[in-house]
Amino acid sequence: MASAEVRQIRRRIKSVESTMKITRAMELIATARIGKAQQRVAQAKPYTEKMNDVIRNIGAATGSLSHPLLEHREVNSVGVLVVTSDRGLAGGYNSSVIRLAEHAVATHEAAGRNVRLYTVGAKALGYFRYRKYQISHQWLAVTDTPTYADARSLANIVLDEYASGRVDAVEAYTTEYLSALTQLAEKWPVLPIEPPEAEDGTVDAPVGYEFEPSAEEILGRLLPRYLEGTMFGMLLEASASEHAARRRAMKAATENAEELTRLLTREANQARQAEITTEISEIVGGAEALSHG
Amino acid sequence: MARSFQVDIVTPEAVVWSGEAELVTARTTEGDIGVLADHQPTMAALSTGAVKVVHKDGVTIAGIHGGFLQIYRNQVTLLTDRAELTEGTVEDARRAAVELREAEVAESEPAV
Repeated sequence: MASAEVRQIRRRIKSVESTMKITRAMELIATARIGKAQQRVAQAKPYTEKMNDVIRNIGAATGSLSHPLLEHREVNSVGVLVVTSDRGLAGGYNSSVIRLAEHAVATHEAAGRNVRLYTVGAKALGYFRYRKYQISHQWLAVTDTPTYADARSLANIVLDEYASGRVDAVEAYTTEYLSALTQLAEKWPVLPIEPPEAEDGTVDAPVGYEFEPSAEEILGRLLPRYLEGTMFGMLLEASASEHAARRRAMKAATENAEELTRLLTREANQARQAEITTEISEIVGGAEALSHG
Repeated sequence: MARSFQVDIVTPEAVVWSGEAELVTARTTEGDIGVLADHQPTMAALSTGAVKVVHKDGVTIAGIHGGFLQIYRNQVTLLTDRAELTEGTVEDARRAAVELREAEVAESEPAV
């Protein structure tokens, strides 16, 4: 008959084990999804690369690029876009991006610049709303599996804010996917668009480039697409990072749970042993008392 | 046999078609364009319509919506928002392209 103490420890073991089942399942799901997310990042690369090519070529063919979206203007108001996930349990994934963004907001405000905040994901929304920040635009249910339509919606809002002069620059705070083990929260300038740098050795002004319609019009159509494309790439990377961070967090949680079960089992065994020892000594003591009586 | 050149049809989500081709026709905002090897470097805006790629294994037809066409050094790149390879005739591809355009409109409306 197990005593109260042993029973309590056994109950804790059971609870830890059922938590472990959940964390292990989440780890497996995240692992499966990293692969998919990585694949999508890779599939989106050719488009962005070709797009960079085209912009470089227009630049080379026309001598210089000029477009409102490329012009740096005096910055009185900054748009800050924070990309987080909708769900937690992903280690430091959300908190490091949010910390970076909040620091940037404070810096801008200290410098007397007006800040407009855009959030992607429930985590950033919850964090900034709770702290009474004014949020200009918010997107939810994006980063789990971002679609191109999501990227377009982001790009459209940001372009609209920029074109109407509500903001003079936009920067994004998001997570770069460096490898399955390393993801880095970083700042990424969105607007004005930084035209892709010409790669060394590939600069040769194409002769007699023909534009249909004009070069200006092509550029005007191209730059919003370019923004959408890079936004899409950014969301895909953020998504891959989220899954990678979650897998790591859940792996650590599973390992901790294993360790905890091991310790608790040992504790339970000790308690049981102590109980048996007490019982034996009681019996022996009783027998002694009888035989001497 | 006509000389061939590299063709890539690329959307943000994936490379739809890539390979060597002998003739490409597409619809730009200014009208239809036909491309053979050694075409002059060109940049054009694509409209909604069919793309026909003639290559050594036959003909590939796709419906596309929006984007750009770049011809440079025998490399033809179609950067398009949406593309779908279709079976059958150019007419079918054109219909598919119109459907792509409608899908885009339907997607963007409830979001705003």
